[in-house]
Amino acid sequence: MPNLFNTILTRVRGLRQRARVSRELDDELRFHLEMEAQSHVEQGIAPEEARRRAARDLGGVDQTKEAIRDVRASWVDSVWQDLRYAVRSLRRQPGVGVAAVGMLGLGIGITTAMFTVVDSLVLRPAPFERPDELAFVYMGDDHGGGAVVAPAVLRAWRDIPAFAGVESALPEMALVELDGSVVVRGTALVTPGLFDLLGGVRPVLGRIFEASEGRAGSDDRVLLSEDVWRSLYHADPHLVGRRVSVNGESLVVVGILPSEFRFPAWNTVIWRPIDFDAPAPSRVNERPMAYVRFARDVPRSDALRLATEAARAADGSNAGLRPWVEPLAGLVLDSYSQRAIPLLAGGVVLVFLVLCANVSSLLLARLTARQREFSMRSALGASRGRLIRQAFVEAAVLGALGVAVGVSIGWLLVSVSRALLPEAFLLRTLNPLNIDMRALTATSVASIAATLAAGVLPALIGTRVNAGESLRVIERGGTETRAARTATRGLLVAEIALACTLLVGATLLVRSFINLAGADRGLDATGVLTATMSLPRRDFPDRIARTAAAQLLEEQVRQLPGIHQVAWSYGLPPSGGAISFGNWQSDVPGAPILDMDVGRFSVGPEFFALYGIPLVRGRVFERSDSRSEVVVGERLAAALWPGLDPVGRSFSFGKERFHVIGLVRETHHPALDARLDRPEFYEPFSGVGGYAMMSIRCGVGCPDMALVRRQLVRAHPAVRVVEVRALEDAYFEQLARPRAAAGLGFGFAGIAVLAAAGGLFSVLSYAVGRRRREFGIRTALGATPGQIQRLVLHDGMVVAVIGIAIGTAAAWLLSRALASLQYGVSVSDPSTWAVVLGLLTVTIAAASWHPAREATHADPARLLREE
Amino acid sequence: MPKTEYLQGALDLLILKTLALAPNHGWGIQQRIKQVSRETLSVSQGSLYPALHRLEAAGLVASEMATSENNRKARIYRLTVRGRRRLEAETADWRQFSLAIRRLLELA
Repeated sequence: MPNLFNTILTRVRGLRQRARVSRELDDELRFHLEMEAQSHVEQGIAPEEARRRAARDLGGVDQTKEAIRDVRASWVDSVWQDLRYAVRSLRRQPGVGVAAVGMLGLGIGITTAMFTVVDSLVLRPAPFERPDELAFVYMGDDHGGGAVVAPAVLRAWRDIPAFAGVESALPEMALVELDGSVVVRGTALVTPGLFDLLGGVRPVLGRIFEASEGRAGSDDRVLLSEDVWRSLYHADPHLVGRRVSVNGESLVVVGILPSEFRFPAWNTVIWRPIDFDAPAPSRVNERPMAYVRFARDVPRSDALRLATEAARAADGSNAGLRPWVEPLAGLVLDSYSQRAIPLLAGGVVLVFLVLCANVSSLLLARLTARQREFSMRSALGASRGRLIRQAFVEAAVLGALGVAVGVSIGWLLVSVSRALLPEAFLLRTLNPLNIDMRALTATSVASIAATLAAGVLPALIGTRVNAGESLRVIERGGTETRAARTATRGLLVAEIALACTLLVGATLLVRSFINLAGADRGLDATGVLTATMSLPRRDFPDRIARTAAAQLLEEQVRQLPGIHQVAWSYGLPPSGGAISFGNWQSDVPGAPILDMDVGRFSVGPEFFALYGIPLVRGRVFERSDSRSEVVVGERLAAALWPGLDPVGRSFSFGKERFHVIGLVRETHHPALDARLDRPEFYEPFSGVGGYAMMSIRCGVGCPDMALVRRQLVRAHPAVRVVEVRALEDAYFEQLARPRAAAGLGFGFAGIAVLAAAGGLFSVLSYAVGRRRREFGIRTALGATPGQIQRLVLHDGMVVAVIGIAIGTAAAWLLSRALASLQYGVSVSDPSTWAVVLGLLTVTIAAASWHPAREATHADPARLLREE
Repeated sequence: MPKTEYLQGALDLLILKTLALAPNHGWGIQQRIKQVSRETLSVSQGSLYPALHRLEAAGLVASEMATSENNRKARIYRLTVRGRRRLEAETADWRQFSLAIRRLLELA
């Protein structure tokens, strides 16, 4: 295709060297003139006369130049021309352009940002080598289950060809000590081979664990995340090889891992080696999680069969059990985020659709005006192809500007979420958060397609009709064309339906949040501070030392002003202390065994008074009570002894046996995850342990939390203060994410409703503009302003009612998906619907009001004169 | 002499034929057509130059700025390979066409 190449080259050259071409054309024609004149001279005509005659014979040089330019004009030139025309046309109506670009940009931006987050958190596989081969394994029967894999089974699995690797890890929390202060960080005990199993883990400094590390004698090693290294050790380049204090143990740092590496939990930043095959005696009871890499050449079903056989052979307790496999997804999300994030992403898609529909309807609203323009230009000789191409270029310019704005908004939002969401969302993924190019591409293509469709349609319609006829029709100034009417009203219905759906969803989320925030907690949380301290075994070796320390700490706190009561306990509301899950049985003959998660608090008698938990029956603790005497909450009592008085009865949990001396009001932990709100019972407090928890009631005049912390530190130099916080904040943490979800949801719904209202306003305004003559005639024939207004309002209301009807149906479907995010509210909640319909009605009425008023301003006399 | 109207195809053919003999500038082509046709055919520059540029855009002729014999800047056109092929095809077509016309006229 050398010719095509040459042609393009010539044309591109022609575009770039426009000035030179023009100059050469002048030269060429001047040469012609001079040659002509010269030939006249040679025929004996005087030079002056020859020149004059030559010029006359030559004719119109300008027309020639014009003709040549037409011939030479390449598609590059004419597209350039179209581009300039498009920019001019957009400048003529900057409002439409700015609105369209803004809406496209907003749509692309928020959708891309949301999908970036969703992809990183939910969809993308773990950032390890060949992640599809990696899996988390646990043992269970045919219905599932959650038994961990015993060390003997792990050892057996290493010897079968099913797996390329079998490693273990156990996540926990650790106290990191630094110059007298203590911070809590996520840690994990890992077998040394774990990093090779995952693959691609390269330390920033130092090395990863060697295979021998973790056995007795070499288990005092530690790997730190770059995050910890930077935030706690100021990126000290000489940290590798030095010792740090973790959980009171002195460990040697062997390496620093990149901050992107998080495993097995999203918050794991410290790794210690452990030999789970032959664990140290102190760790025998710890059951790690098993992670495997499937062998590439063994089919998955064969591998599982081999693993089942090996497991049953290695450990008799595995009879009837088989391994269950879960892929290592890109995240270790809690159930709330897993449910909420895809839903919010779905909401974003709806917003995006509304915005695209709105841009389309905005462009289509100009349909009739553009149609007239296109007919005119068609009548003046522009070819249909050229007109359509021009409309295409114009829409493409809009779309391209929208994409540019969208990229900036998306980048901004991702940067903001990177900066603002670290603890709540960002760390919950094993993937780094970078803008998602696929989402950006998809949204950009979709919005450009929407723009093009809406932009080219007027040109298609406008040029299809016979130009002269269409001019005549338009001169008469009719109403909107049918096609335009159908298209814009259809888009508006879609917009209002989507906005309605989003608004219902958002309202349910907001109401759930309000319900959560106002839910009964069963205790008085206001004016309570809690402090958690660590009493290292080194400095407080026995109970006597710890009790003495507790005494000192309590005295220090009581010196502060405004302190009413102080109580020690193990376990603090709302999340409680120990959790026992398993089989519970009451002393009633023939009582069933109940499988429940139960919270256990160890408290003194002052605990109930401090938290305002009322005693229902029996009594609270006395000093003489034995360890097996307990106070139960109402839910546990109702579960174990339905309809009976629990006081004086007993119940068992495994081998433990408890005698009930009292019944107290149930406390609640309002959360979307109902499992967090467990039944509870209280055991007598047996003195402060290594982890000391203090509750402080201080009423209205609570001292500053920093002051409390200082006072506690002053009590004893070896006491490590882990945390001091207001109890309200602890409850509030449960609200943070529902609040964020409600906020985001309402934000999305707000954008959608405003966009739909804007669309309605522009379409109605436009329709009124087109129908002014009709309204004038109606007025002349005796229609009252009220009747004219009703005509316009009716137009808007029909669209709104259809849209809301469709939106309502969609909302019913949506609410099923939302059920898990709702707290104390359902989709049939009348006040939700009152809010939604009220808001939509007000918005739609507001959007129709101005156009309706405009319609009554049609002065028939003036309008008819315009004819 | 009245200006003769002719089909655009004919003008293209004339230009290509003229350039087949030797590269030439616009004025030269005009003069040559006039001479060879014994002043029967006259091409105005308003038709000639757009045609030349159109043929160049179609890749049938190529041009370059050059200095003429009398030291003036002129655009010299020459036939491309594709132009030569087109000339042969068009010549054959034209012969057939004119033969058909002549037969028709002689029969009448």
